[in-house]
Amino acid sequence: MEPYISVCDIEKYYGIGANVTKAVDRVSFNVAQGEFVGVMGASGSGKTTLLNLLATIDRATAGHIFYGKTDITALSDDMLADFRRENLGFVFQDYNLLDTLTIEENILLALALQGGRRQDVQRRCDEMLALLGIADIRDKFPYQVSGGQKQRCACARALVNHPKLILADEPTGALDSHSAQVLMETFTQLNSSENATIFMVTHDAFSASYCGRILFLKDGNIFHELVRGKKERKLFFQEILDVLSLTGGVHYE
Amino acid sequence: MNKHLFTTLAFRNMKRMVRDYLVYVLTLLLVTALMYAFNSLIFQDDTKKLIGTDDGWLAFLLVLTTAFIIWIVTWLMRYMVRFIMEKRSGEFGIYLLLGMKNQMIFKLYQRENVLLGIAAFVPGLFAGILLREILLAVMYTMLRMEYRLHIRFHGGTFLMTAVCYAGCYCLALFRCRRTFKKMTIRALMNARRQNEEIRERYQNVKQLLFPVSALFLLFLRRIITGLDNMGKVALFLICLVLAIYLFYMGLSAWIVCYIRRKGSAIYRGQNLFLLRQFASKLRTMQFTMGTLTALFTIALMGMTIALMLNAYQTMVLVEKAPFDVQLYNADVHKDFSRELSLIESEVGITQSHVYHIYTDGDDQVAVWLYTHLETWGTIFLNEDGSANLELIREEQLAYCASDTYMRLSDYNALRRMLGYETVSLDDGQYAVHIKKRLRRQAEAIGDGLEILDASGKEPLSCAGIYDEPFSQDGHNGGDCLIIVPDAVAAARMKPYYSELVAKLEGEAPAGLEKKLDMLSLEGKKAWQSEYDVLYSACTGSDHLFNSASANLVRDNALSEAGYVLMSVIMPIAYIGFVFVCVAVTVLCVQQLSDSAKYRFRYDVLRKLGLNTAQVNGLIFRQLSAFYLCPAVLAVVIGSMVLSISRVFVRETGVETAHGVFFLYGVGMFLGVYLVYFALTYVGFKRNVDGSL
Repeated sequence: MEPYISVCDIEKYYGIGANVTKAVDRVSFNVAQGEFVGVMGASGSGKTTLLNLLATIDRATAGHIFYGKTDITALSDDMLADFRRENLGFVFQDYNLLDTLTIEENILLALALQGGRRQDVQRRCDEMLALLGIADIRDKFPYQVSGGQKQRCACARALVNHPKLILADEPTGALDSHSAQVLMETFTQLNSSENATIFMVTHDAFSASYCGRILFLKDGNIFHELVRGKKERKLFFQEILDVLSLTGGVHYE
Repeated sequence: MNKHLFTTLAFRNMKRMVRDYLVYVLTLLLVTALMYAFNSLIFQDDTKKLIGTDDGWLAFLLVLTTAFIIWIVTWLMRYMVRFIMEKRSGEFGIYLLLGMKNQMIFKLYQRENVLLGIAAFVPGLFAGILLREILLAVMYTMLRMEYRLHIRFHGGTFLMTAVCYAGCYCLALFRCRRTFKKMTIRALMNARRQNEEIRERYQNVKQLLFPVSALFLLFLRRIITGLDNMGKVALFLICLVLAIYLFYMGLSAWIVCYIRRKGSAIYRGQNLFLLRQFASKLRTMQFTMGTLTALFTIALMGMTIALMLNAYQTMVLVEKAPFDVQLYNADVHKDFSRELSLIESEVGITQSHVYHIYTDGDDQVAVWLYTHLETWGTIFLNEDGSANLELIREEQLAYCASDTYMRLSDYNALRRMLGYETVSLDDGQYAVHIKKRLRRQAEAIGDGLEILDASGKEPLSCAGIYDEPFSQDGHNGGDCLIIVPDAVAAARMKPYYSELVAKLEGEAPAGLEKKLDMLSLEGKKAWQSEYDVLYSACTGSDHLFNSASANLVRDNALSEAGYVLMSVIMPIAYIGFVFVCVAVTVLCVQQLSDSAKYRFRYDVLRKLGLNTAQVNGLIFRQLSAFYLCPAVLAVVIGSMVLSISRVFVRETGVETAHGVFFLYGVGMFLGVYLVYFALTYVGFKRNVDGSL
């Protein structure tokens, strides 16, 4: 079966001449539809660079990234913008919500940019607000709600256009432990009930334990891979900690 | 702190401020250049000598203008000093954390500002020296004189400019020390967060202010022509300013309510983002936007008025005195021999003609003019529409007590001198010569007059109306003159006053008119006042400029009138230009600062799928809305000046549609506006692109 997303020998170099830094060095992997993949690694291991390459925010120096049959490394900037709008959803550590818009309007804008009938746009927005449990704060501005609520809004915005892939960069980085747990449960729910494909970068073993598979990056290479399978989350969490202890843990960025 | 380190830090911060607020620095540079150029006119002695006047009128108005300029530049500097302080609050908090004392941070900031001021002032001076030459060239052209380029540095002008500029800075930094004294680390660190909070209370009530203030502005626009005393004007201005401020409060709330009502526009593309951005900016800047609108309005009206006066000077003034020299004397036996000798000795005469203006002792022409010209409205009409003769004879506002007539032979002699075709009249005819601007209103004058023939039995018929420039501000009548066959004048009329016209060999020397005035005063009778000798009583209805002087030397009069008009035009243009620049600088700095602070918003939009062209289009629409809002409101309010220009065109005879001045004013205004808009757009895009 053809993989949903296929990363083939991707490389990303920064700098020129003798000062070249290999942020990502010939990395290859596949992601299946409906998979929840996590990426872990120490500071400077290249995990955020890899996410940016998948997110089309950054361009690869070499290699290919296929979404189905589409090679995004061959698309022009304008085509990439269309691709992003139609295929990707983003959740970031600092939420990236528009501060002049209310919670509802942040979700509405993502839908409005796609176009569509007014009634459909509003119905879809209402559904997402209900699904993420933030309908009661729909009229509040981001500064008026908690970090967890902001992140759930970011999730709703990321999911509202049925993207092929949700990209999450340290989504629990700015949250307290309770909010982080609620968010990861939300991710799991979206993954199982909405069949959302999620690619998450994290340094937090607890958050990573909710993933189905984890790629461990070191110096731009995948050096280890863990698959949860049917294991309990607590057991998987222990396995993650074991891998991290072998590599000397994860340094916070 | 080490002195060297302190200076280095101040210098580096200043360099960063120049980079971050380049538009502000450029505006300061421009203001310095304008200040130097206009201040130099105060010390411009050559012009006064050339014109032969030293009444200090221009200097007085320029000093008055400078006071306005200092006020507005101080406002800009004060605004910017506080704006930059707020933007750098986090940085000041770090200085405090590092152990710097509040007083030292103030001194650092003060030094940075002084350095920034100097960085704009020095190149501004050089630009000012060049601008002065351009200004003088324009000024000399207005005065009909030749100007030779002479670039030089004037100490007095420099000193005055430096004092004004430094004064602005001192006023701007005044009380800044107190603000620094009260600073705490926590307050500084939280300052930014507090500003980002959006408070939307009572929006449903506030939105009503939008239609109410818009209607109120339209109402004010309608009543402007009815302002006939200072009390009403003051009340009008207070209402106007209030309406402007409430308009922005209402507009912001109205947009917020529209979004809350889920208006259909928010579901289309980037409209939701644009509307929210706009409403949010209007809410936080409603007082600044109101002030900017007021500044734009003043600038726009000033530019329109300056253009009107300039049109008057180029179109009308030259027609005011068609003869090289024209002298009036109340004495009907005057032969003007002494005057002719003086003129001959000063410049030389190629042609001259001495004649009388006649009168029949009646005032039917004056009554017709008072009751039919638009200028007088219904002032001299009774309620039943008939002429209020009692009031006309009591007031004698513009016309002689008795009507003025000219013999056909004298009329044709003068027409020949001016190069016009001669006129012929039958024994039973008369002609009318009237000012061009009144021609349309006076087409029916022949039907309303009854001028009798030489026998005094048969009425003459009107053979035609002529309207070439003919010196009708009291010399050849006031506004209107009746031309009759010589026989009619000889039989039924008597000389009213004496006139001399002369054609000169060359250009009249400066001061000839004053010498002729001195001669007239020498012949003053004991019962006459100086005014009686030097001015004609029949001035006509021209309001703006009236050449009713008894002794009129065209070259001298035009230079003097040009000087007076220039004294008004220059300061108005100066104020208008500086006001626009200051206002647009605030708009520009606000937007550029936002683009740097909130560039993540555009980054988010890119992540949501907007391509570069769409983001650029969004920025363009956002800036357009922000820039257009105060400009459109200023144009709507400023269009009140149309009522003034309508009266101006009617009263002066300038052959231009009254709306044209306003359109030109808007054009000039938009010219400056577009330059700043382009700077903002480029800077904004650069800041936003820099985030990727």
